[in-house]
Amino acid sequence: MKSNSSRRDFLSAGVALPVAGLAAAGLGKATVQSSPPASLASTPKLAYRTIGKTGLQVTAVGFGCMVTSDASVIERASDIGINYFDTARGYQHGNNERMVGSALKKNRKNLVLSSKSGAPTKDAALSDLDTSLRELGTDFLDIWYLHGKDKPSEAADELFEAQQMAKQQGKIRFAGLSTHKAMDMIPFLVTKGAVDVVLTTYNFTMDKGMGEVIERARNAGMGVVAMKVMAGGYRAGNPRHAFYPQLTRDGALLAALKWVLKNPKVDTTIPSMTDMDQLEENLKAMAGPNTEVEEKLLAQRLEQIGPLYCRMCGHCDGACAKGLPVADLLRYLTYAEGYGQFSLGREHFLALPAQVTSVRCRGCSSCTVTCPFGINVASQLAHAQELFA
Amino acid sequence: MRSVASRCPLFLAGKSLAGIPSPSPPPDEVYRDGNPLPQGGAGPFSRIRWSKALGLALVVLALASVAPAADVADCHLVAGWEQQGSPRRFTADNLFEYIDGNAEGYLLYGFVQLRGVTCQARGESILIDVFEMTDADSAYGVFTANLDPHLPIENIGMGGQIAPRRALFCKGKYYVELAANSQEAQTAALRAFAGEAEKRIPGRSMPPAELSWFPREKLASVRLIPESVLGLRLLKRGFVAHYEQGQAFVVIEQSPASATAVLSQLRQRFGEAAPAPVADEAFQADDQYLGGMCIFRKGRYIGGFANMPDAKDATTQAALLAEHIPRM
Repeated sequence: MKSNSSRRDFLSAGVALPVAGLAAAGLGKATVQSSPPASLASTPKLAYRTIGKTGLQVTAVGFGCMVTSDASVIERASDIGINYFDTARGYQHGNNERMVGSALKKNRKNLVLSSKSGAPTKDAALSDLDTSLRELGTDFLDIWYLHGKDKPSEAADELFEAQQMAKQQGKIRFAGLSTHKAMDMIPFLVTKGAVDVVLTTYNFTMDKGMGEVIERARNAGMGVVAMKVMAGGYRAGNPRHAFYPQLTRDGALLAALKWVLKNPKVDTTIPSMTDMDQLEENLKAMAGPNTEVEEKLLAQRLEQIGPLYCRMCGHCDGACAKGLPVADLLRYLTYAEGYGQFSLGREHFLALPAQVTSVRCRGCSSCTVTCPFGINVASQLAHAQELFA
Repeated sequence: MRSVASRCPLFLAGKSLAGIPSPSPPPDEVYRDGNPLPQGGAGPFSRIRWSKALGLALVVLALASVAPAADVADCHLVAGWEQQGSPRRFTADNLFEYIDGNAEGYLLYGFVQLRGVTCQARGESILIDVFEMTDADSAYGVFTANLDPHLPIENIGMGGQIAPRRALFCKGKYYVELAANSQEAQTAALRAFAGEAEKRIPGRSMPPAELSWFPREKLASVRLIPESVLGLRLLKRGFVAHYEQGQAFVVIEQSPASATAVLSQLRQRFGEAAPAPVADEAFQADDQYLGGMCIFRKGRYIGGFANMPDAKDATTQAALLAEHIPRM
């Protein structure tokens, strides 16, 4: 595939960034632009934010291409004005990159494009990068992520070296890392200071601790890109998941996306989109904050999830007669069943003292813990013990 | 309008489409799996025949419940290889722990569970991962999503590919990936594992019958798309064929009535649509992103051509596709 853009194109693209975006100088500060639409019944309002210290001005709603199968959806999104697109070497064993490249080549110079490599070594990662550039039909990536690093030990120094080398060669503009375990990885990345952008899971089901680590990343100058913004992505598409009915209700996904955008420390989002309807719905998220109806919808969803979802209010601290750290145990259960991170939940559980892990709530005749949000604590704790112990 | 071949992620330039069945015989004379219907004279089954058939069915069911995924994820499939570490098992709720960042691609196709092992021999290692999907079509679908468009499709199960460090194939409701972690090509070992694994997997070896409905001239590839065919939510799961120019699709609706309703909504979506003389009902249109297009209904099937130079070309090709679709 012939490359449609060059380093020179990139430099000119830097000048051609959206005018309204340039006006948005403040970190995380959004502006709204009425851009000319392409084939939409109404004019979408596009909000732009700046990714960390990179200077990249992107639409607050980007496009996660992982599950998109038809190039027309990506092409249309680009024409409408979405200007951040994310893919990865590993998606469909590279077939996704090829499709994304073909869909975006006519607009490449006006876009921010990212891809990822999950390779474990420097040489393999750099080889992946060359393949990504070839398949995407470009000679540089705006952001190149180390893919799916959930433990500091997985983010080897040689991988960061590969990113620096790629920067020097002009193959990438900025280095990033993607993770599903921001609570562990962001503190590590802040200390390490090796990447410009972190791509992390972030959605309305997460406790305030996630907001705090995101703020920490932002304060350290890192850009923050949010994924799984519809509460886990795949869980929304898994009919067997407990949250499925709530997540797929009309309007609920849009409200969830707006919830993420409400956090000014989030620079952009990359919801997955497979069709024009999703695209048009997600565009609405940039029109403004949640309406009263949407806030009610979101509150309703949280209420529905309530019996399962711990808000970490601290009301139960010290309430267990057996001395169980109730909120912690509920959080570990949320890791496993809310976020789908079973091993993380189990890992935390097993790190507790033996006098805690040996307790079985089903052995208690009555429970001394009550939850103001209606969580059946005894039942949930017993479930956690059965799951992790 | 540029060629769809350049946009197609699975364009098999100049490659044969081994594994895709030849154009079907007259459509009303085949089962869905492509096997011919018995031709006359079968007569009614006797009680003995029925009891034998029932017994056979029970045996087949019993064998099927023995979790072939576990049987196939076995390092002893090939002599000299030994298992390293514990077997892997993942479900839809934790697949991302293993395939971090790419699990959705499998879940969309109806992933049920994964069983896997890592095998070692002479300092080399090979990973065997057996994905159980909801049905054979889903297994074929995830295979088409992951295959290398630069390699031919081999006759392994419903289809397979062997590369120096990677092999994949599907059979029945199972999709199998093998990966060699090696500096050197492990083609022979991967081929041996794939061959032995295929023997242990029960189920269909023929690709979905729908593939044979697509006109073969200048056909590049066929994929099962799990949702939103052509990027249109109305067109749920279906088969999409890419050609040197244009793409065709077939979506199966639950009934002719639901197919009629979908076609009506599609027609409203494309404002300049005009009727077209194809199958039971059809329209043609020109769209900025889908090019010249024609979408038709035949019974409960919705099919069509898109990304053609103009609607007239699309209508001509759509008529050819409609001829091969059985009336059910």
